[in-house]
Amino acid sequence: MSHSTGARILVVDDEAAIRRAISTNLTGHGYQVDGSDSGQDAIRRLDAHPPDLILLDLGLPDVDGLEVIREIRGRTNIPIVVLSVRGAERDKVAALDLGADDYLTKPFGVDELLARVRVALRHVVGAAHGPTMVFRTGGLEVDVERRVVRVDGNEVHLSPTEYDLLKVFITHPNKVLTDAMLLQQVWGPGYGLEAHYLHVYVARLRKKLEADAQEPRYLRTEPGVGYRLLADEL
Amino acid sequence: MDIAVLRNRLTLGIQQGFIGYVASLGAVLVASVLIALIETRWHLANISMLYLTAVLATATWFGRGPAVLASVAAFLCFDWFFVEPRFTLTVADPEEWVALLLFLAAAVITGQLAAGQRRRAQEARQREREAVVLYDVVRTMAEPNLEEALRGVARRLRGELGVAAVAIEAGAGEGRRIREADGDPSALRLADAAPTISWRTLGPAAIPGPDHPGRGGRWVRVVPSRLPGLPRHELSDRLHLIPVEIQGRRVGTVYLVREAGGPDLRPQDNRLLLAVAAQLGHAIERDRLRGEATETEVLRRTDELKTALLNAVSHDLRTPLASIIASAGSLRQSDVTWTEQDRREFAEAIEQQAQRLNRIVGNLLDLSRIEAGNLRPAWDWYDLGALIDDVLGRLRPVTEGRDVVLDVPDDVPPIPLDYVEIDQVLSNLIENAAKYTPAGGEIRIAVHCTVEEVQISVADRGPGLPISALERVFDPFFRVNGTGRKADSTHPSGTGLGLAVARGLVAAHSGRIWAENRRDGGAIFTFALPLQEPVGPGTLAAEGVA
Repeated sequence: MSHSTGARILVVDDEAAIRRAISTNLTGHGYQVDGSDSGQDAIRRLDAHPPDLILLDLGLPDVDGLEVIREIRGRTNIPIVVLSVRGAERDKVAALDLGADDYLTKPFGVDELLARVRVALRHVVGAAHGPTMVFRTGGLEVDVERRVVRVDGNEVHLSPTEYDLLKVFITHPNKVLTDAMLLQQVWGPGYGLEAHYLHVYVARLRKKLEADAQEPRYLRTEPGVGYRLLADEL
Repeated sequence: MDIAVLRNRLTLGIQQGFIGYVASLGAVLVASVLIALIETRWHLANISMLYLTAVLATATWFGRGPAVLASVAAFLCFDWFFVEPRFTLTVADPEEWVALLLFLAAAVITGQLAAGQRRRAQEARQREREAVVLYDVVRTMAEPNLEEALRGVARRLRGELGVAAVAIEAGAGEGRRIREADGDPSALRLADAAPTISWRTLGPAAIPGPDHPGRGGRWVRVVPSRLPGLPRHELSDRLHLIPVEIQGRRVGTVYLVREAGGPDLRPQDNRLLLAVAAQLGHAIERDRLRGEATETEVLRRTDELKTALLNAVSHDLRTPLASIIASAGSLRQSDVTWTEQDRREFAEAIEQQAQRLNRIVGNLLDLSRIEAGNLRPAWDWYDLGALIDDVLGRLRPVTEGRDVVLDVPDDVPPIPLDYVEIDQVLSNLIENAAKYTPAGGEIRIAVHCTVEEVQISVADRGPGLPISALERVFDPFFRVNGTGRKADSTHPSGTGLGLAVARGLVAAHSGRIWAENRRDGGAIFTFALPLQEPVGPGTLAAEGVA
């Protein structure tokens, strides 16, 4: 792999074995890794050596992980990827709604870790560029200027709401979006609890875009958290 | 004892006796007048019998003492008014003496017999009252909830004795203490103040036998050593304590608070209280034993669960661990040169087996959350078809080689559910089906909507289940033994956790889950979820989507 971006990554986890495993892998892929075993220590390091990305365990011994996110977001926009266990979906949603960029469910594989890190780092760059005029991934093509959606070259007709929903996804490719985020961006700030609208529209969108509903190529469910648009990495 | 109360009671007693004696004299007077009237017309030889009637009436209504007085008075009156020479106590004819003395004897004996009869009737009434009250107490104490039972008994006793308040305490000394009361709150405060004010406690009594009715026990006055600032006359004699004992062990207390200035408790009340206390003792003891039995049962089941868990750990956690350790150890070998292919296979084995361990641990954690009752589903409305697609997509490696047939109608409405939990239920059922369906067999997943619920079934082509296992298959760590479903080398056994977890999660959704055998071979596991959003935390907006 040739992702020697040299980005500095801060790994916050109280388990030394996990810190070591993560840093060995990330260092091997050309990142600079810094470790921290507590929330307060992590916040102190923000000023001393500002990282490009934070991998943050939610179950820290000293401070609640959610508090750490709130603290970090009060100062910077450094991307945060949260590490959490299965069964703590509500914490993940809370973390994402507080401004975390993504999450990894422990235990996770190395491929997954690297993919999340790449997406989170790219997202910072992408946000600076603004939305692309024509979005392409796999057979999916969305022409934002002309409001035309094609799958494998065939034009697909979407209702206005379906189109708005898809547009939110292509603006944040590969990023997990919670139900609340999607609802507010598509239906407006008054919405946030009526997630059943969202689930129904995602199901419709999938029927129009996906060839195999069991292995969606584009819209993936993140159980208990939200959805993610899978896009080719450039 | 309070002087005023003492005086009251003394006066009351004297008044009651006084009325009896006055009445007896009155009765004799009436009889004398009647005899005098009758004598003016006819001469009747045995006219003195009229006096016997008066004595009888006095005995029946007022008891022994007034009857004796009536007898003597009648004897004197008869002598004075009707025996010659009249208006003197002297008697002319010696025969008349005999007749007079016989009359006195007859009057006294008749009076005593009648009074005895009266006493027995009273006793019978008291016993009946006792029996009725005791029956009520026993019936009330049969109530499984001890608190409610004690409250019921307190209410009954208060009504029966006409006192201001009754409180019953169970569990003196060690263990849990329950106190239930009925009556006037200000009177109840006296009961609460038991250790700081003086009270009277009912001493033990002779047990009533067939020959004697049993004595009522004795009230013993208890004055605590320290009486904080209460004026002497405020010292209450209204508070009565009846110890509840069983086999000499104190298991509770009955507190009675009388109305201020009200009548004292009578001996028959004391006897009743002792009988009730004995009954309460049995009931409280029974409740304690029942509690102990439940605890023992819980401990026994916990023990069973632990044993099963240990078995599961030794069998099912060690298998993946063994292959992880072996693979990692192989990779570390320095004296063997592994090909790139070998290395990849070792790494894959480690990853796969670790995933398997992770699933087992996940199920164990779910089970412990279920057993602890800590499940709070995060309700939301979801498209069931999408959920099934997601699960099948993720489980493709597991179902590989089997034909998965989907029978999901297009018009399934959104269902209120916790996505992660129902995902888990469905995954466990499908993994289970895949485990027992041979390669090339069919796994059929069907969704069926009724008016109230949606049913999701997973059918396999395995050996099916013995009838006896249809219910128990959902018990934690249960595995079908014998010729039915059994672990063998090609189908490694599960932990016996998956179905237990599924049942717990479905129950948290107010749904049901059950197992059946297919007529043409294999088993069907079905779970049903209510279409209506369950009432409870996390209530949703109920309107549908056009």
